[in-house]
Amino acid sequence: MTEKPTMPGPTMIEFRDVQKYYGDYHALRGITAEIRAGEFFSLLGPSGCGKTTLLRTIAGFESISSGVVLIDGKDMAQVPANQRPTNMVFQSYAIFPHLTVAENVGFGLRREAGSREDKARRVTEALEMVGLKGYGARAAHALSGGQRQRVALARALILKPKVLLLDEPLSALDKKMRENMQVELIKLQRQVGITFILVTHDQEEALVMSDRIAVMFEGQIAQLDDPETLYRRPKTRQVADFIGTMNFLPAEVAAQTNEGYSVDVAGLGRCEITEAQAPGAPTGGPASVGFRPETLTILYEGQTTSDRVSEGTVEEVVYYGDMTYYDVKLDGIDTPVRLSMRNLPGRPVLDIRTRTRVSWSPGALVLFR
Amino acid sequence: MKGGTGFRIYAMVYLVFLYAPIVLLPMFAFNNGIIIAFPLQGFTTQWFAALLDDPPLHDAVRNSLIIAVSVSILSTTLGVFAARASTRFNFPFKGPLMGLIMLPLVLPEIIVAVSLLVVLLGLGVSLNILTVILGHVLVCTPFCIAILTSAFQSLDRSLEEAAYDLGETPLSTFRLIILPLVMPGIVSALLISFTISLDEFIIAFFLAGTQATLPVYIFSQFRFPQAVPVIMALGTILVCLSILLLSIAEFFRRRGLARSGAKDTGGFL
Repeated sequence: MTEKPTMPGPTMIEFRDVQKYYGDYHALRGITAEIRAGEFFSLLGPSGCGKTTLLRTIAGFESISSGVVLIDGKDMAQVPANQRPTNMVFQSYAIFPHLTVAENVGFGLRREAGSREDKARRVTEALEMVGLKGYGARAAHALSGGQRQRVALARALILKPKVLLLDEPLSALDKKMRENMQVELIKLQRQVGITFILVTHDQEEALVMSDRIAVMFEGQIAQLDDPETLYRRPKTRQVADFIGTMNFLPAEVAAQTNEGYSVDVAGLGRCEITEAQAPGAPTGGPASVGFRPETLTILYEGQTTSDRVSEGTVEEVVYYGDMTYYDVKLDGIDTPVRLSMRNLPGRPVLDIRTRTRVSWSPGALVLFR
Repeated sequence: MKGGTGFRIYAMVYLVFLYAPIVLLPMFAFNNGIIIAFPLQGFTTQWFAALLDDPPLHDAVRNSLIIAVSVSILSTTLGVFAARASTRFNFPFKGPLMGLIMLPLVLPEIIVAVSLLVVLLGLGVSLNILTVILGHVLVCTPFCIAILTSAFQSLDRSLEEAAYDLGETPLSTFRLIILPLVMPGIVSALLISFTISLDEFIIAFFLAGTQATLPVYIFSQFRFPQAVPVIMALGTILVCLSILLLSIAEFFRRRGLARSGAKDTGGFL
């Protein structure tokens, strides 16, 4: 996973303590965040976490109960959706079924000044941009899912909005198509330089596409970081659990040192953990540590390591072709830990109940409160 | 397939029962005799000719058409408002309000007609075409709402939001997006309210005053045996017109579906 260079643009969107109630239901609980201009930003979380509601407050489809939403420095409280510098790609694409592709794409130009020829040219350009050159005269309802998606994109981008809002735009596509569109969306975003805000429940999608991600639970932002930090240094167990796979072991903070913490981890012994490995700022006492499957390595016959080594028994083997996942029950730990190995030549897939040595490094641990 | 044969016979009997009387209409309309009985007496077109020379009938047809056209437009318009409001917005007492609007659907028409008559007479309103229109709108609007509600419900909410998001006002969104997409429903509503109004008898009988509608006129003519074949001729024309009208409406409905790519949910026919 390579991190994209983050563009330190000026602030495009700012939330200041945004609250939203639906009757008694508290949907947004004090959102404060900034989204930079030109950024590919994702709102990630399980369904019902408020991510779509937050997106719709930017678009102007939801009013907020209190707080402030600023777009490009302007307070949006009195600006209705049809006058905001944002455009949206809807989850259902919302293609107008009674219009042609060109009429759909050019819909937003109806109210703009300019000659008919000029508008037709812009529609052609927009269609070309999303790879639908020559589709203008087709009936919109006859398109496939991926093509509808592109029409929706072209229709939203033709107005050159300051912010493009994408509400789970890829969830209706099959896996292969989704992966293609992810790459295309990233390219498109770099090409047009518009701020993209994506709502998704798919952590992989968010990691692949975003410059920065806000992980949301129950109406609050749990962590806002770039993908790598989010993956390697999650602040809470909840975030760690939602993004990728993480093994958790109970631990006890024995002492706070100059560099960080001395931690007694169940089954692994005393580990020195740096400040950076504990982004959740634990205080001491009972805690837990987490580690990703790829930070554990099986040691084959004759291999040595400078890392620490534990022994255990293979309990489960899941073969993925390029990778194999093992659940290994390490000696002294009750629950098996999951680890992943790339299937390289000279690395036979182990059988269940094989005894094996596993190497790991305290530097790969994350300490949670 | 024993059960299959049983159902087939049932379907045949059902269809014969439903349509045999309608087949009899043209038979006696062209029959050269006043008595409606077999054997047929010979071919004639004199009953159709008699239709052309009957000023009270022409008045009744004119009244009925004025009423049916006004009623279909009025009740469909009211239906659009009500269906839109009930599918899109939440407001206090929505349930009871919609229930009250839909009530004439199940009320006995004779009760509606008598109460309307009492109220109108009490208010000192003179009975004419206008009072019939009012009565018919009351009865037709629930049908229009029922048809239009399903049309509005099948509309994806994000289509409106998309149009609004692209800079349109709520009004232009309605005109450019919502209206074209519910048009098949509107055509159906126009058609069904037109049909209901055209052959409605009870309310028209009570509220028409001296301006008889077609059903009221037909009923009054049955007192005279010599008028019966003429009524048969009139009925034949009406059946043909109904079939033509329904075919046209179905044509437009199917074309609308094909255009928008929506799934055919059966519609009218």
